[in-house]
Amino acid sequence: MNDAPALIVRSLAKAYGGRPAVIDANLRLQPGQITCLLGPSGCGKSTLLRLVAGLETPDAGEIEAGGRLLSGPGGVVAPEVRGVGLVFQDYALFPHMTALQNVAFGLSDLPRKARQERAQAMLDQVRLGARAGAWPHTLSGGEQQRVALARALARRPEILLLDEPFSGLDAHLKGEVRLSLTEALRAAGATVLVVTHDAREALLMADHLVLMHAGRIIQSGVPGDCYLDPVSPDAARLLGEANLIEAVVSGGVARTAFGEASAADLPDGPAVLMVRPEGLRLDASGAPAQVAQVRFGGGYHEVQLEAAGQRAQMHAAGDPPGQGAAVAVRIDPALARVFPQAAVTV
Amino acid sequence: MAAVVAILPLVGVGVAALTGETAAIPARDIARYALTSAALATLVALATGLVGTLAAWLVVMHRFPGRDIFTWALALPLAAPAFALAYAYADLFDVAGDLRIWMRADLGFDLPFEMRTLPGAAFVLTCAFYPYVYLAMRAAFVNQSAQALEAARALGCTARQVFLRVALPMARPALAAGVALAVMETLADFGAVQFLSVQTLTTGVVRAWFVFGSLTSAAQFALPLLGAAALLLWIERWGRAGRGYESAHARWRPLPVTDLKGVRAALAWLFCFALIAFGLLIPAGWLAIAFLGVTPDWPRLIQAGANSLTLGLMGAGVTVILAGALALGSARTPQLARLASLGYATPGAVMAIGLLVPAALVWRLAPGAAQGFGAGLIMLVYAYAARLMAAALEPIDAGLSRVSPSMVQAARSLGRSPAGAAWSVQLPIARGALLTAGLVVFIDILKELPATLILRPFNFDTLAVIADNYARDERLANAGWPALLIVLIALPPVVWLTRKIAASRPGAPA
Repeated sequence: MNDAPALIVRSLAKAYGGRPAVIDANLRLQPGQITCLLGPSGCGKSTLLRLVAGLETPDAGEIEAGGRLLSGPGGVVAPEVRGVGLVFQDYALFPHMTALQNVAFGLSDLPRKARQERAQAMLDQVRLGARAGAWPHTLSGGEQQRVALARALARRPEILLLDEPFSGLDAHLKGEVRLSLTEALRAAGATVLVVTHDAREALLMADHLVLMHAGRIIQSGVPGDCYLDPVSPDAARLLGEANLIEAVVSGGVARTAFGEASAADLPDGPAVLMVRPEGLRLDASGAPAQVAQVRFGGGYHEVQLEAAGQRAQMHAAGDPPGQGAAVAVRIDPALARVFPQAAVTV
Repeated sequence: MAAVVAILPLVGVGVAALTGETAAIPARDIARYALTSAALATLVALATGLVGTLAAWLVVMHRFPGRDIFTWALALPLAAPAFALAYAYADLFDVAGDLRIWMRADLGFDLPFEMRTLPGAAFVLTCAFYPYVYLAMRAAFVNQSAQALEAARALGCTARQVFLRVALPMARPALAAGVALAVMETLADFGAVQFLSVQTLTTGVVRAWFVFGSLTSAAQFALPLLGAAALLLWIERWGRAGRGYESAHARWRPLPVTDLKGVRAALAWLFCFALIAFGLLIPAGWLAIAFLGVTPDWPRLIQAGANSLTLGLMGAGVTVILAGALALGSARTPQLARLASLGYATPGAVMAIGLLVPAALVWRLAPGAAQGFGAGLIMLVYAYAARLMAAALEPIDAGLSRVSPSMVQAARSLGRSPAGAAWSVQLPIARGALLTAGLVVFIDILKELPATLILRPFNFDTLAVIADNYARDERLANAGWPALLIVLIALPPVVWLTRKIAASRPGAPA
């Protein structure tokens, strides 16, 4: 694998009417990898995507792809010649063209016959070869997305951008779509940037994860690292449920009502402990707590614990404790992190 | 650029009115003409408002025999130019005409009216222009919320109270818009009022130019018209802004339609039929009966027909191209489209006078360059485009709104330039809208008279022009053929358009 990044974004900034949408964004996409840009709605992730696609012009910063400067102080390359493919949230299929014509749309530099063949091959690749003559409105949501994907991949873009690929789909379809999407992207060997607010899909899909919050990229790395070792409570909450519990640090140990965890690099004083629901364990030698509520959550029980006036959520496998029961809990250090109090934004 | 096309003549009017040689016509005359115009406009506004609203309410909210046909047929009088109606009615109800002689002799009474008067002209123009109100009100009623009407019924309103207290107030913006259109057309009309000897500002503009040869005087007649146009446009805008009244977001349900039976059904049928009869059937029929026996000057008629078609197609083509460009560009600069719509409110005569000013400038700078046949045609097509830009813009805008921004962006990311994206995505999707716009412009050009009269190249006749010539020479019989031909050419596109309008509304009967 080539080590040079396929895309480099340096200190990119964009504001709308004085309101910053993207602030000092730095990003690297490795060739052939799927990078997921995860953030809540309105965090600026779609703006970042549109900046890379060339649909918006940045206020500052540079975008470089394959050694070519796409956007910088010297000027901006028009979207049609960037070699960047884009799959829209609403798929944006052209309603006056069949699936095949849609896919062939971007191949106008090929002779007619080659164009048809390549478009058909792309449709085959997304397993829609039989529906080449279908009009977009007769296709299901998932099929429309695959046509849009084939249309974007047909031009062999150096970089492919996907905007919220799971937002228009029913929950039970997401897994299936993710698998077929990942498969098609791997087959194409494309360098991919996926923008999503769906933490679960991002974790499952990404080779590389980028977390964005309030216009800033706050963390990037392998999904597992991001999940287990978030840089801040915000980053932790982006990737799933997280309990934020008051803590006091003394001598490198953070003590809370639910147990303690190591905080070697923090000074003595008040702090915040973040622990995932599955990082709280029932343990007879642990801290005493009261069970406030128990709810069945499918593969686990969701248990609301209360201790010293604070609440925390625990995922309990197996038989849950009864409501109102007195239990003892401890914190799994691998699933907990301690932050200085100032890191909490809400 | 396209917006400049529409604005240039309007600037010309202002320049001409304020400069140039002193007026040959006293200000008192201008005031008198203006008063007549105002009175005529008021009468037509009241009559079209009443008749158009009632027809729309009947057709949308009631079921009676023939309703599905009336839905689109009520707009058919749009195919008949107002002057054709004027010829027919003036002849039909002529004091010395067959009908009145027969009535006096055999029935012993005379009709208590005279066509060549202000009320007569108001009657003719109401017959010609009520479809504007009908179409606007129909759209408003069809899109109204069934829930609001049902809530009113549940709160104890009778059917009539629902109409007066809920439906009509909700449709008030549409009424304003429709009546504003009818009044715009009334102020712009030349052929009908001229023939009925009612002296309005528009006849003043044309007379000042042809009889006195004074551009300045013509422009002075035109100025109050421009003011009125701006006012009407403002009213029409206000009507559009009021679209918030319509329940765009409420879930659509079929409107509670009342079945009409017996006498009531017959009355509803009679009312709708009478409108179509007065607007199209009687005048067209009378022109056919009375004048088709006259052998027309065939070569002249055919030449004029060909000219009308050529002008109509050229004008429609140019206008649609410009309006298309304007619509595509107006996503970035919406003010331009608003400026262009001032042209639609401007009477054709005023537009023509306004064009003569920049044209005179060109003549002076490059004598010979802008003269002759071709230059005249270009000026004429230019005037049509400037005047009808807004009429073409509306359907095109509606058509383009079906193209989501992401489709355009998708085309860009697939290797198309902005122009390429417009050509391969936006325009094909808006194809139907472009055709609609072209037909609207084509029909209007076919019926256009004053601008054509002023700007046409020497000896270049259209059907409307020769009809007007014959009528003015007191050879009305000869005017029948060209007037009827206009109706015949305009009818198929009007039928197509109105049926399309009827089918495209969510409440239309399937």
